[in-house]
Amino acid sequence: MERITIDPITRLEGHGKIEIFLDKKGNVENAYLQIPELRGFEQFSIGRPAEEMPRITNRICGVCPEAHHMAATKALDALFDVEPASVVKKLRELFYSSFYVTDHTVHFYALGAPDFVLGPDSDPATRNILGVIHKVGVDIGIQVIECRKRNHEVIKMLGGRGIHPVAGLPGGWSKAMTAEEQKIILEYAKQNVDFALFSLKIFDDIVLANQAYVDLIVSDTFTHETYYMGTVDDNNLVNFYDGLIRVTGPDGKELVKYPAKDYAKHIAERVEPWSYLKFPYLKNVGWNGFVDGVDSGVYCATPLSRLNASDGMATPKAQEYFDRFYETLGSKKSNGRYAPVHHRLATHWARLIELLYAAERMLELTEDPEITDPNVRPIMTNTPTEGIGSVEAPRGTLTHHYKTDENGILTDVNLIVGTTNNNAPIAMSIKKAAEGLIKGGKVSEGILNMVEMAFRNYDPCMSCATHSLPGQMPLEIQIRDAEGNLIETRSQYVD
Amino acid sequence: MKTLIIGLGNPILTDDGVGVKIAHQLEKVVDLSAHPDLTITEASAGGLRLMETILGYDRVVLIDAYYLKQDQTTPGKIHRLSLDDLRFVSPTQHSTSAHDTSLVTALDAADQLGYQIPQDFIIYAVEVENILEFSETPTPAVAAAIPKVTSEIIKELSLKTR
Repeated sequence: MERITIDPITRLEGHGKIEIFLDKKGNVENAYLQIPELRGFEQFSIGRPAEEMPRITNRICGVCPEAHHMAATKALDALFDVEPASVVKKLRELFYSSFYVTDHTVHFYALGAPDFVLGPDSDPATRNILGVIHKVGVDIGIQVIECRKRNHEVIKMLGGRGIHPVAGLPGGWSKAMTAEEQKIILEYAKQNVDFALFSLKIFDDIVLANQAYVDLIVSDTFTHETYYMGTVDDNNLVNFYDGLIRVTGPDGKELVKYPAKDYAKHIAERVEPWSYLKFPYLKNVGWNGFVDGVDSGVYCATPLSRLNASDGMATPKAQEYFDRFYETLGSKKSNGRYAPVHHRLATHWARLIELLYAAERMLELTEDPEITDPNVRPIMTNTPTEGIGSVEAPRGTLTHHYKTDENGILTDVNLIVGTTNNNAPIAMSIKKAAEGLIKGGKVSEGILNMVEMAFRNYDPCMSCATHSLPGQMPLEIQIRDAEGNLIETRSQYVD
Repeated sequence: MKTLIIGLGNPILTDDGVGVKIAHQLEKVVDLSAHPDLTITEASAGGLRLMETILGYDRVVLIDAYYLKQDQTTPGKIHRLSLDDLRFVSPTQHSTSAHDTSLVTALDAADQLGYQIPQDFIIYAVEVENILEFSETPTPAVAAAIPKVTSEIIKELSLKTR
């Protein structure tokens, strides 16, 4: 029978098609992750009331609707020039922390862990969450499901709806928290902290206790020295919801720290003839190609980046792990900051430290007596013109930029989604992994696994870019010669 | 029998949201008071989140868009599939996406963990044309399939209409 192609799941994610271009000698010249481009979001939005954006943009993506909802809501704060009350900020951050717990959990257990728990050379047929459950035990699987379940309940409680939240208003949040909800969430937040610690223990036991994995993490194949971006609070500590966007260099020095509204002064987009993807880079450093180093404007925005761009974590347990992370990976501290870790596979560990931070932050916010303050809906009095809002999406800094007429009807919309920030570093990581396995036009075995590991740690989400429907392979590598002819295709599916 | 009808897709991405639109149509015409065990909902979730949504139901009807390559597609063509059809087409059970597992993998995981997964699984899929452009309006052939699938589901589940 012909292979049909229905899977309601690929629909949300697009297909991970990798294009690798060879030079005349048959060695790797360029590589990138191809993501089908969605068209017409700007036109779709123009002419609509700006207040609809938190509910429209969360439809863009089935993976992080909460991130779009929050970036859109913050853009509305700016657009209507209304400063949210302290309780509003806390409710939003609490909601957002709960989302982070679910998102980072699924990445580690379903996507990141299989490479380590089963091993990078294991059969792709078992290198998945089923393999993890089989090897580590049913109890872990149940904990993962329970963790997601309770946080989805929190998201629904605070956000008004399960999957597509509706609570974000300009300067406000549509629903206050009741004392009863506070009690439930408090219990859940405590369970989240335990779960995060348990996950870090698994990472210790399975990855860090195995020298072969540590060697893999620090290997040159998975190392790139680039700039790092992340949002930080007043003390330069990691924050997902609000703060200034800080960019630090491959040498660890701060390049710039700016409010989201200044993004266009700092970020430019490079277009390459061989890809329709845009490659954002740091304007003030300049584009020098897909290369590492202080003179290359390539930057990265991931959990690893956020840790590198910060001076630490704002919660105590996460801070302990933060120190351990840098100490273990051989980073030295100078002027109160650790030197950046450039090993891309360490992103999996950084993600778990962020998971712990999100859980601890959730607990802190829920314990805050102000969190049940009912005054969550301000009156807007200013005439809207232009607004920019940003948050840290799990997979990178997410920026929404709206312009409206005096009635608040949208006239211009621009979004820079999380994964887009990482287009250039992902291309570089894929290229480096492929270089080791393609020589003189000959493609070695194992290329799929290595390439997948190279881009997987970025947790690229293609949903913002596509809702590609069934029929696509989970991972396909196309190799093209110097003239652009397709010479070989490898894919993860077996016929 | 505790039943969930779930329309999948993105309702603002032209044909992608055909499943959601069918679910909305069913919500309008079905007499829900005559079916206390029936829930009709929508989702744009895949693998794990979709699995989590359907746990606890005895019977699940998934309605989704079905995208074939440009030269193979017949927009508006309706397929009725089983869970085994999905299993058959995901032979490696490997993650089908960058941030999720396939539904089959997610259901297998739930099964291994001892969760009760729905025994009865019905999938309606509509072949679609445009899934790359933002619009609330499906293409004509796909729009024409909406009442057809709605009637099919009403018939198959013997639902009372208002």
